[in-house]
Amino acid sequence: MNGKKAKNDIIFISALLVFALIFGLVLFLSQTKGDTVVVTVDGALFGEYPIEKDAQIEIKSKSGENLLVIKDKTADVISASCPDGICVHHRPIQNGGESIICLPNKVVVEVRTKGVKGTDIIV
Amino acid sequence: MKKRLLAVTAALIFSMFFSLAFVSCDKQKTKFVCHSLDYFDTATTITGYEESKEEFDRVSGEILKLLSEYHKLYTIYHRFEGLENLCTINDLQNGAHRTVSVDSRITDMLLYSKDMYDVTNGKFNIAMGSVLSIWHTYRTCGLADPSQAQLPPKDKLTEAAKHTDIKDVLIDAENNTVYLQDPEMTLDVGAVAKGYAVEMAAKYLEEQGISGYVINVGGNVRTVGTKPNGESWLAGIENPSPDSDIPYVAYLNLSGESLVTSGSYQRFYTVDGINYHHIIDPETLMPAKGYLSVSVLCCDSALGDALSTALFCMPYDSGISLVESLDGVEALWIMADGSQKYSSGFDKYLAE
Repeated sequence: MNGKKAKNDIIFISALLVFALIFGLVLFLSQTKGDTVVVTVDGALFGEYPIEKDAQIEIKSKSGENLLVIKDKTADVISASCPDGICVHHRPIQNGGESIICLPNKVVVEVRTKGVKGTDIIV
Repeated sequence: MKKRLLAVTAALIFSMFFSLAFVSCDKQKTKFVCHSLDYFDTATTITGYEESKEEFDRVSGEILKLLSEYHKLYTIYHRFEGLENLCTINDLQNGAHRTVSVDSRITDMLLYSKDMYDVTNGKFNIAMGSVLSIWHTYRTCGLADPSQAQLPPKDKLTEAAKHTDIKDVLIDAENNTVYLQDPEMTLDVGAVAKGYAVEMAAKYLEEQGISGYVINVGGNVRTVGTKPNGESWLAGIENPSPDSDIPYVAYLNLSGESLVTSGSYQRFYTVDGINYHHIIDPETLMPAKGYLSVSVLCCDSALGDALSTALFCMPYDSGISLVESLDGVEALWIMADGSQKYSSGFDKYLAE
């Protein structure tokens, strides 16, 4: 057997393995990282914010205002113009699928995750 | 020879990765979620697994269309042109009361509610409209202007409670008519309408052979089948104490069942520093005390809805005997002090 050809084969297979490793890593990372806080007003997208980054967002709608605070990887509505205050009473959210909803102002704040873990339903 | 072996190995590795990529991107169904705030004065969330967004949009669109139809029929707050609904039935009281011809989906639901009155010993009563509307008015005013928040006067409630006899709700199932014999009676189906509508939408999906969906209308959850891989859905029951660090009091595995929670911790108003919630005990005519929330797990979302409200208004002893007497019904009570009580078969559904 030709030694040079065998060497080429080894290089070829090593390259394949490296490629596979990178491919797997990308797949893994894309599934576990990158949770976002998605805000919609009356069904329309208002904004998307990474949960890792602290931020204060004034959600202005036709019906009023809700103040959303993202801090320490949790999202919380801390004040609002709505009368019932259900969104303000709601505990901070952090896991995929959790949401805070303000019915009077038609605001939905939701955590979206690319991962597969977490609850499917919250009652 | 060796070279060919290497080539074959390389080809194998290649095809393995390609098939892996295809399995994870194409064949596997993806989870989709959509929200609506338009029905039953609460938030609707539909979760479903489909191969494409288009297919999910089609199915969730059909669910929303059904919920919209039931909402229009069952609402007591809105009229719709050319439609007899519960609002128009109530509006005819006090003067013009007469027999009303309605959609069979109204008579079906009212008959079901009368049955549930008997099952719950009157703790679930759709004829409580006169009492509940007083609370609704005082709550709305109290929320709009907290400094002026007041409790409804007791004599006003007692007077209204004279017009809540379920026997005065006359339903003709053959001709689809409703007659409220007491001219001062009004209906309030807030404790069953959502659950009934969700159950009907879930049954529709099942008839179409669709599974892998969850319909949640304001805490009224109905799972349709399991996830596509056969796994059950993981449901978290929210901790009713908002200041606690523990977000969920229990995790449950659901595969086709319904889970409904009635709680005092979301919808309330405050008078002189005390919170008054929206679940009114038919006996005391006041917000029921004793629990922070009651969750009911069973096969039928309409049953779960009516039962969770009734259990909320019952002492624990009568509540647990009622639950244990019903087939396939389990319940979780979160007591006023935060402690938990389960019915005998509840732990079967508890997840790790």
